[in-house]
Amino acid sequence: MDYPDQFDVIVVGGGHAGTEAAAAAARMGVRTLLLTQSIETIGQMSCNPAIGGIGKSHLVAEIDALDGIMAKAADAAGIHFKILNARKGPAVRATRAQADRVLYKNAVRKMLEQQPNLSLFQQSVVDFVIQNNTITGVVTQMGLVFSCRCVVLTTGTFLGGKIHIGTENHAGGRAGDAPSIALAHRLRALPFRVGRLKTGTPPRIDGRSVDFSNLEVQPGDDPRPVMSDLCTSMDHPRQVNCFITRTNPQTHKIIQDNLSRSALCSGAIEGVGPRYCPSIEDKVVRFADKNEHQIFIEPEGLNTTELYPNGISTSLPFDAQLAFVRSIEGFAKAHITRPGYAIEYDYFDPRDLTHSLQTKVLDGLFFAGQINGTTGYEEAGAQGLLAGINAARKSQHQATWEPRRDEAYIGVMVDDLVNLGTSEPYRMFTSRAEYRLRLRQDNADQRLHELGLHLGVIGEQRAQHFAAKMHQLESLRSQLASAKVQPNSALAAALLSLIGVGVSKDTDLLELLRRPDVNAASIATILAGHIGTQQASTATMRGADLLGQIEIETKYAGYIKRQDNEIAKIRRHEGMSLPQGLRYNDIDGLSNELRFKLSDARPATLARAARIPGMTPAALSILLVYAKKFAHGDSAATG
Amino acid sequence: MVSASLHSDLIAAVATPPGQGGIGIVRLSGHGAKSLAEKVAQAKLEPRKAVFTKFFHAGQVLDEGLVILFPRPNSFTGEEVVEFQGHGSPVVLQLLLNTLCEQGARLARPGEFSERAYLNGKMDLAQAEAIADLIASASATAARGAMRSLQGEFSARVNALAAGLEKLRIFVEAAIDFPDEDVDILADHQVLTNIQQLRQQLADLLAQTQQGQLLAEGASVTLLGAPNTGKSSLLNVLAGEEAAIVTDIPGTTRDLLKVDLIIGGIPIRLVDTAGLRETSERVEQLGIERAQKQAQLAEVILVVVDASQGQDIDEEVSRLCGLSELRVGDKRIFVVMNKQDLVSRIDTNTTYAICHVSAKTGDGMEILRQHIQQRVGFVAQEAPFTARARHVDALQVASAALQQAQDCLQNKHETEIVAEELRLAHNALGEIVGTVSADDLLGKIFSEFCIGK
Ligand SMILES: Cc1cc2nc3c(=O)[nH]c(=O)nc-3n(C[C@H](O)[C@H](O)[C@H](O)COP(=O)(O)OP(=O)(O)OC[C@H]3O[C@@H](n4cnc5c(N)ncnc54)[C@H](O)[C@@H]3O)c2cc1C
Ligand SMILES: Nc1nc2c(ncn2[C@@H]2O[C@H](COP(=O)(O)OP(=O)(O)OP(=O)(O)O)[C@@H](O)[C@H]2O)c(=O)[nH]1
Ligand SMILES: [Mg+2]
Repeated sequence: MDYPDQFDVIVVGGGHAGTEAAAAAARMGVRTLLLTQSIETIGQMSCNPAIGGIGKSHLVAEIDALDGIMAKAADAAGIHFKILNARKGPAVRATRAQADRVLYKNAVRKMLEQQPNLSLFQQSVVDFVIQNNTITGVVTQMGLVFSCRCVVLTTGTFLGGKIHIGTENHAGGRAGDAPSIALAHRLRALPFRVGRLKTGTPPRIDGRSVDFSNLEVQPGDDPRPVMSDLCTSMDHPRQVNCFITRTNPQTHKIIQDNLSRSALCSGAIEGVGPRYCPSIEDKVVRFADKNEHQIFIEPEGLNTTELYPNGISTSLPFDAQLAFVRSIEGFAKAHITRPGYAIEYDYFDPRDLTHSLQTKVLDGLFFAGQINGTTGYEEAGAQGLLAGINAARKSQHQATWEPRRDEAYIGVMVDDLVNLGTSEPYRMFTSRAEYRLRLRQDNADQRLHELGLHLGVIGEQRAQHFAAKMHQLESLRSQLASAKVQPNSALAAALLSLIGVGVSKDTDLLELLRRPDVNAASIATILAGHIGTQQASTATMRGADLLGQIEIETKYAGYIKRQDNEIAKIRRHEGMSLPQGLRYNDIDGLSNELRFKLSDARPATLARAARIPGMTPAALSILLVYAKKFAHGDSAATG
Repeated sequence: MVSASLHSDLIAAVATPPGQGGIGIVRLSGHGAKSLAEKVAQAKLEPRKAVFTKFFHAGQVLDEGLVILFPRPNSFTGEEVVEFQGHGSPVVLQLLLNTLCEQGARLARPGEFSERAYLNGKMDLAQAEAIADLIASASATAARGAMRSLQGEFSARVNALAAGLEKLRIFVEAAIDFPDEDVDILADHQVLTNIQQLRQQLADLLAQTQQGQLLAEGASVTLLGAPNTGKSSLLNVLAGEEAAIVTDIPGTTRDLLKVDLIIGGIPIRLVDTAGLRETSERVEQLGIERAQKQAQLAEVILVVVDASQGQDIDEEVSRLCGLSELRVGDKRIFVVMNKQDLVSRIDTNTTYAICHVSAKTGDGMEILRQHIQQRVGFVAQEAPFTARARHVDALQVASAALQQAQDCLQNKHETEIVAEELRLAHNALGEIVGTVSADDLLGKIFSEFCIGK
């Protein structure tokens, strides 16, 4: 039957990409439907129960800045919070939360159920309705037809999913869930470039069977960080500890002896796995000289005894898994509750997408999440947000948002994917962002808020919160600028005794903050003890954060300016489109290697061409000259 | 789509061929050219009026000469342009250029003036190939120039530096992106030592490159061909002296023979080489190897063919390319049909640029000279001298960034700042050897360290 109601945007899949996509489209006020296999698994964490981490928490902060759900869900479900890279600098500082799987899922579902303009429906999608290369609807398992203007597909690891344990394998989308076979066939019939990737997960262990007495304890951080700007640590549930243990030579021997029975080595797996998230058998083989590997033991939740041993993802047969697990300190009597496994699935070459995440193949069809060759909840969520926003905009005939590399990690990720494709599951790292010093977690809201308002994706509460923050920041800044320290004054003496810093001429606190030996904490002390005003605001966590931001602004001003110049130069290249028909092979003066890479990537702008490895300024100039010629209608340069 | 504002930043370069007395021109183009020029000339400039004045740097007189302002859009590049016409000495020109660059201009890339002229509609659109060719050959000239000044080591050494820097960045980026790993990658003092070593290597290379830069050296034109085709005879005629031994025995010339001459005001180094053929004779073989090397370094390759042999020209050139490891169709090749006095037929059936001469009678020599002048002058107008300075510039940027990185590391600044300085240093070298992507770096990190939980 044809479902009677019309939708603007239909999101297929209720994972991390799908939920952000659906919520974003609905926030923008368009009629949105989330179609997923099972409402029970909405917001399910397929692998480790953690949100954030280096590079990833930047994505979470950006989702939060655009009023998305991931950060809020992590605060509602986080049972162990840590700041990473605390001393390596504000730009690479990151937050990570262990989450209670059930609390997380519930928080996501609750937010979706409370979201106006959003409906949920439980059914597998098996087909598309296509008219003139435009998608106009989807068909579900029981033959229901839903019509819409745009579709966001976010089916994760489910397309053609195949689960491996040892030499055994069976079809599956994730342990316990059916794969999407019909839809995978449907998509393979369209002119997409399809590949196979794989990823794995470790066996879960019953905490009651673990001996913690000799294990290193890892408590969460105090003071405890939060994920969302709109939350405080008061929103967090009860906190628990994590533990650390290690593999040993005995463990490695068991793995070595069983290698021939692993799914990886038997040749049963054709998909490529992530090099930064190798299985334990991978690590043992590739780094044979290491005689131990760390394992972080993470609780799966507050109301379960299951543990997630982070670091021993495996696809060895079950008996070998049990044997090597039991060789590990603390696990001698371990009971495995769920075996580890590897999963292989279809992904679509992201070079077949535009920067809005719309496919180049079908008008109105957007892809987000793992199906684009990425891995991780945060990567999926960020893409979902972008695709949801753009599907909503397109359904209203508005221009789409193509995030830039200099404004957000989302922009870095999308540009990397669309421009260069990926040959292994793509994960975010801070080193992928050349403008890392500007793209910080602390300024995600400042970078994206205005844009979010313009897109209409930001709600009232956040808008007020942000305005208040900016106001406080401004008044703190002017307070610092007007607080003068005169030589030989009482304040100067206090400064010298408190933080060992002397002044030789009239200096305001803002200038003082620029000095390497002065930091936000010492300024806070001065403000609180000796200036009197605003004590309250700097004493709060929020106040300290604001002061910290001003410190970064002043200390990094030179670096930021330099990056701004670099960006301005590249922006100009961004406005310069390269004709899609350019025949790179016929351009003299380009090396063969560059000709090949350019023909393959067909960059849309000069800026994108500039990021192709091996590019030189001379080669760019040559492209520019040909682009100009092409623009004036000389078809000889094209074909 | 291609807007004129794309390239508005201020660029400067020497606009006359190097090494000649008389006048030398330094050209400044882009936003702010006038005000910078007025500062350096300490004089008011008016459109199209030549002002005779002194050029200053830090209160000192560098040179004196004419300064002319060409307002946009009626200038060579279509932008605001100022020309300084001073004395031609390379040292003085370089000082003037340095002054301009210290005060806000940057060195133009090879071919950049013509590129801007083209983009601003100052040139016929049909000239795209020619401009692209110019940029490519001027860049290649820069690389060859740098290479010649360091006996061919230059690119090898810049590559080695880039590799060293990449290795360093792998450590620092790994420390940032993978702090959970057991090894504290930065803790061992390797990183600091490595930075110091790299800085030393960079300083050595800079010192040598800068020396090379001051040697005003002519564009390299090389004679190449089969034995007995008349290469040495042509060299003698062009040089106007009996510099090379000429006999009718094939394989007369064994070693490289270089003479310096001036054609149409452009300094040229003309090089005679051993005739190319398969041989088992040791000395001759060594001579042929030198000829091959020389061909790689040349701006123009004159392939000499004996017209009296009646060979298919393209086939013969291809055969010679095979013997000298040149790419068939190399744009630097110019075919010279010699001994034209022995045949009446003029064979022009070839895809290469060609001319017909007789070293014996002197017929066609003037045309040959003009061809050489055109080919070399085309590149010389974008001053290989400047192009090489560009490399020095890149090395200096890299060196300054490395110095900063070291300071930050020693003063225990944030790791991300050290990483940023290393990135800038790497980018600067990338201007010479090509860029490196973050994905390349990550790939190396994964193969170097056991990453991942
Ligand atoms: C075994 C395993 C190991 C992993 N290991 C890691 C890891 O180590 N590190 C890491 O960062 N990430 C890992 N991940 C990846 C992480 O789980 C995903 O990156 C993330 O969940 C992707 O989000 P998504 O929204 O794209 O897809 P998913 O979270 O997979 O969600 C897909 C959703 O689509 C629904 N669906 C599928 N087909 C249909 C259909 N036809 N119709 C309707 N609904 C459909 C599903 O029910 C599901 O709700 C792993 C995943 C698995 C399965
Ligand atoms: N008729 C005629 N003879 C020429 C001409 N040019 C050179 N020859 C003769 O050709 C012979 C070879 O000349 P070279 O100049 O030594 O030739 P080459 O190419 O340098 O030879 P190798 O050094 O052996 O490679 C000599 O006998 C010259 O006199 C020409 O234009 N006309
Ligand atoms: Mg000779």
